[in-house]
Amino acid sequence: MTNAPKAATGLETALAARAQSLPPVRALAFETFQRLGFPHRRVEGWRWTDFRAALQDIAPAPAPLHEIAPPLAGDLAGLKPVELRIVNGRIDVPANAFPKGVQYGIVDAVGTIPDLETHALAALNVAMSKKALGVEIGAGVDFAQPIVIRHINTGAGFSFAQSLMRLCEGASATIIETFEGEGAGFYSHLFHLVLKEGASLHRHVIHETGAGAVVQSICAAKVEGGAAFNQASLSLGARLARHETHVHYVAGGAKAEIASAALLAGERHSDFTSEVLHIGDACTTRQRHKGVVKDKGRNVFQGKFRVMKSAQKTDARMNADALLLSETAETDHKPELEIYADDVQCAHGSTAGALDAEAIFYMRQRGLTDEAARALLIEAFVGGVFDQIAHPGIAQAFHTRIVRWLEDA
Amino acid sequence: MLKIDNLHVSVGGHEILKGLTLAVPAGEVHAIMGPNGSGKSTLSYAVAGRENYEASEGSVTLNGENILGLDPNERAAKGLFLSFQHPMEIPGVATMNFIRTALNAQKRARGEAEVSAADFLKLIRAKAKIVGLSDEKLKRPFNVGFSGGEKKRMEMLQMAILEPAFAIMDETDSGLDIDALKMVGDVVNSLRGQKGNKKAPGFLVITHYQRLLDYIKPDRVHVLAAGRIVKSGGPELATELEKSGYDKFVEAA
Repeated sequence: MTNAPKAATGLETALAARAQSLPPVRALAFETFQRLGFPHRRVEGWRWTDFRAALQDIAPAPAPLHEIAPPLAGDLAGLKPVELRIVNGRIDVPANAFPKGVQYGIVDAVGTIPDLETHALAALNVAMSKKALGVEIGAGVDFAQPIVIRHINTGAGFSFAQSLMRLCEGASATIIETFEGEGAGFYSHLFHLVLKEGASLHRHVIHETGAGAVVQSICAAKVEGGAAFNQASLSLGARLARHETHVHYVAGGAKAEIASAALLAGERHSDFTSEVLHIGDACTTRQRHKGVVKDKGRNVFQGKFRVMKSAQKTDARMNADALLLSETAETDHKPELEIYADDVQCAHGSTAGALDAEAIFYMRQRGLTDEAARALLIEAFVGGVFDQIAHPGIAQAFHTRIVRWLEDA
Repeated sequence: MLKIDNLHVSVGGHEILKGLTLAVPAGEVHAIMGPNGSGKSTLSYAVAGRENYEASEGSVTLNGENILGLDPNERAAKGLFLSFQHPMEIPGVATMNFIRTALNAQKRARGEAEVSAADFLKLIRAKAKIVGLSDEKLKRPFNVGFSGGEKKRMEMLQMAILEPAFAIMDETDSGLDIDALKMVGDVVNSLRGQKGNKKAPGFLVITHYQRLLDYIKPDRVHVLAAGRIVKSGGPELATELEKSGYDKFVEAA
């Protein structure tokens, strides 16, 4: 798709200034970005998440570099995690010795992702990121201590970061990524994940930034034979908040569970977009999304399963459900199946509706107030989506945030 | 005592209740019988305060207090209980948590002390035994996957726990076998106090059949036809209706 030529915005000019004298791979990525421009609503896949419009008001300067991170939320700190931070794009790792079985540090960023040629924001991230946060879990290591990666954004302006995580053969780990801070800037994060044969990762994402933030994160996971990728994401939305997940099953017998929920009030927006590419055979994919939208919130879900000819015996299911709590709330779902193999089981479902008035009356007849009945029903609607979270402390952290949102909303 | 006076209710532009008058004194059980479409369920919804079932005329008082202006939950806190004809399944809502929340919401509204989790567990276990619901059923989401009969048992469980001042039982007997009917009788009879005791709960039993009344002896039986009570009498009226049908009353209405 081509865009009509247009004058560069202040942000684009500022980015171009920073792209002077880049090394060749990153320079090439910047050219790709310039060719594509910021995605907007007339670009396939970005119809409901218009970055060009949202970025108009972003200050055309880098975010302040030396901000002090606020302390980690008490309940997450209580999990005694390894805490890694990316503050306004600056990577900050603790200086103390590594716990056994894990290594982390600042490494060179990578220059490519699978659909770099067509993904403007991924290309921009590659162009702008020099260093990355690197984490590696050794072969066969069952690293039980949660690893928290905090994406903290304060103030205005733009920032970019990358993370690279590798779980060696048979390793397992639990990570929690938080997107936090009251900043009203643009933050882009690109996460390369490799799960070697038989590895198992539980990834949790909690997005609770201020309402003015424009956030874009891409997680590209390469999942090898027999590995298991388990992801649970909760988003409270932002000015724009797009969390992409790209899973590539490169070999057979692997599994992915991908669960997400968006709780949106005010004018907050959340976009969960994903693509699961089945190349290896006999892989199992379960994906669920729940959106609860009130006021002028907007919930976007785009899920795609691609099943290549080699991926026989694939078993893949996707469900997206939304609860609309006001006339002005909006939900947009695009579930897609693209199947080239013939011996597979693939299905998707999508629903959108309001709270059941009959259930509310029933509960009020038993003594619950209207608000209490609604809150219980909303909690019930969202609750089950995160049943897969194995770590009780993390399950509690998700539950606490859902309940807090219900009380505030 | 529940007192309904000249109640008019329209639903979707059609007048369903056309000046219904009825009084059920404390400690008494009254039965309402009537053909389909006579307004039985409309009556229960209007008294319980369901949206779109508001009275256009008339009054409903519970123990002397007008309840028509109150929210459904305020009526519940005053002690009004409706056993639903078609109880809801509420996926994702834990049964015990829901019933305890309801009980404590009522107690809070009345300024009474709330029931602790431990005491509630004892209470619900004891009452579940009476209504014949297993522990496994109590652990499920509310009514999810329950048979029609089990849902009615769940209604009776809530009635036993909430100990209402006045209960309307809307076709609680439909879909129940003999054992379950006996259970309903047991629950009602255990809550039923002495006649003449002003604190004793009253019951309005809406039914098509005489058979439930073998287990709950009604003090009075009323025939509802075309939105009005057209005939009232003693328990023998139910037997007569079972034999000869509603035809002559419908014509009279």
